[in-house]
Amino acid sequence: MLIEIRNLVKNYVMGDIQVQALRDINLTIDRNEYVAIMGPSGSGKSTLMNILGCLDTPTQGQYLFDNVDVSTLSDDELSAMRNREIGFIFQNFNLLPKMNSLQNVELPLMYAGIPKAMRRERAIEALERVGLADRMDHKPTELSGGQRQRVAVARALVTKPGILLADEPTGALDSKTGVEIMALFDELHREGNTLILITHEREIAEYSRRIIQIRDGLIFSDEENIRSDDVEEKIYKTRG
Amino acid sequence: MHFEEIVRVALHALMDHKFRSFLTMLGIIFGVASVIAMLSIGEGAKREAIAKYQDLGVNNIIVREKKLSNAELEEVRARFSPGLSINDARVIKEIVPEVAQVAPQAEKESEVKMGDMSAKSTVIGITPAFIEILNYETEEGSFITADHYNNSLKVCVLGAGLANSFFSNQSALGKMVKVDDQWLEVVGVMKSKAVFTETVGELASRDLNNDVYLPLTTFNKRFAKENLLESEIKQITVRVNSSDKLMESAALIRSILDRHHFNNQDYSIVIPFELLKQEEKERQIYNILLGAIAAISLIVGGIGIMNIMLASVMERTREIGIRRAIGARKKDIMSQFVVEAVAISITGGLIGVVLGVVLSFSISLFTDVTTYIRVYSIFIAFFFSVLVGISFGYLPAKNAANLEPIESIRYE
Repeated sequence: MLIEIRNLVKNYVMGDIQVQALRDINLTIDRNEYVAIMGPSGSGKSTLMNILGCLDTPTQGQYLFDNVDVSTLSDDELSAMRNREIGFIFQNFNLLPKMNSLQNVELPLMYAGIPKAMRRERAIEALERVGLADRMDHKPTELSGGQRQRVAVARALVTKPGILLADEPTGALDSKTGVEIMALFDELHREGNTLILITHEREIAEYSRRIIQIRDGLIFSDEENIRSDDVEEKIYKTRG
Repeated sequence: MHFEEIVRVALHALMDHKFRSFLTMLGIIFGVASVIAMLSIGEGAKREAIAKYQDLGVNNIIVREKKLSNAELEEVRARFSPGLSINDARVIKEIVPEVAQVAPQAEKESEVKMGDMSAKSTVIGITPAFIEILNYETEEGSFITADHYNNSLKVCVLGAGLANSFFSNQSALGKMVKVDDQWLEVVGVMKSKAVFTETVGELASRDLNNDVYLPLTTFNKRFAKENLLESEIKQITVRVNSSDKLMESAALIRSILDRHHFNNQDYSIVIPFELLKQEEKERQIYNILLGAIAAISLIVGGIGIMNIMLASVMERTREIGIRRAIGARKKDIMSQFVVEAVAISITGGLIGVVLGVVLSFSISLFTDVTTYIRVYSIFIAFFFSVLVGISFGYLPAKNAANLEPIESIRYE
């Protein structure tokens, strides 16, 4: 069991009002699962993602990551956790604009304290993995949206994290590039990575193997997803 | 994250905004430059004063005859004062316990001639003790020796200026010069001395390089007094064993002379060391003021850094969020911004040091203010610029470190 969430509650205080973003979440995710967490805006899926990503801690309940209770960790330990175990992929890529692809991908390794030579080697490897071997010296502004997201995926992969956490990864891309990214995710999953996809689009969630729907801070449904032929075809076509 | 990485990241951030970084540095640049320039002015004034008093001897007490008009002279003589005399010098040496040496000197304004050249000069009759008491050195030859003195030889030692104008590049030794109607053989030439530009107590300012020294015995034998009322000698320079005995020795000298001069105040006592201390005290206030101005400009520079850093943190909220999300700890962010502030202040500090040195050289070059840069002042200025960087960079860096990753990553 990689992730185990028990009776998780998250409250926010907004002004004078207390908002219950997550009410009672129970969830387990195994290694090498490919899960989509779906829900409309305001459903609490972003809050859940923040907690899964160790960016936030629960108000009540337990979040065990690889048998470590995340809610008891200090800020520094949370940082280390994010660094080692979580690979974030954001909707708007969140690359550092002044750095080239290689430097962006090296960044998590720098915070992990890995020596420069090894950092470089691993970053090159990660960029090659996402098919950007020829774009290492390019800055984000010199890359297309799809290429930027690939750099972001390389950055997420480079530390060999426990989970890849993708928040609306195709949200800023056109549908063709979106499919390319989803095909890449599919490959990563087949290579043994654990993927968690946060999205409000059914179409994107369909690429995963398990769909969890959230409404009003509660899990509404949690089902295995048998991919349609249509999705398989799209992935197949992209692979060429 | 390793320290060199932090430094590299910080330098990159500064290089991304070269002009802004430079503007931010300006405050520190001027602050450091002014600290160095101000300290160099203070130090220059101090050294000038010390040099001036060193010529008079810091362990010396100078007893000098007062300048009196003829009528006044007649009056004091009528009241039995013989004026300063060799006997006074002898008595001071015998009675005052801390006295190491005394040097009486007679003086006379004369025309000194060499061939068809002539110069106005102060002719000074001295004893061999003179050179021991004052820190005078000869450029060539010797000073007046005991042999010259005891045998009243017709010899003289020329000041550097005089020797130069009479003999230019040639050696003056063995040459004859004429003072009034007396021919004297040059046995030595003094080293050049700084020109006295200020009057110290009763000692009028003059150019010591135009003096002519000869044995006091010769002086008394060969040169007639212009005025019969004139006293035997003009000055007694007394050297005491240590400078903390100056005041009590001076008091004792005063009481001896008052007795010998029948309470006629026809002499005055100058203690160069005391004057030096007094001058130093006066200068201290001035230095504190200069220092305060310089310090304020450094602080203003620091506030400038803080201001820009706060804006920079705000502007880079998203970057901070991204770094935090991929594993930067609070202290990584903190050190990144502190190092950035310190990098600004170190760079500014270095430029400021260069500017300060240039400034203080220009001051001494283009004005008559003397400046002197001590190495420690460079370190002080530099150290404070770093300190300013750390202290004013701390708050913005702390703000940056405490940003919430979730909120900052969504910041537009």
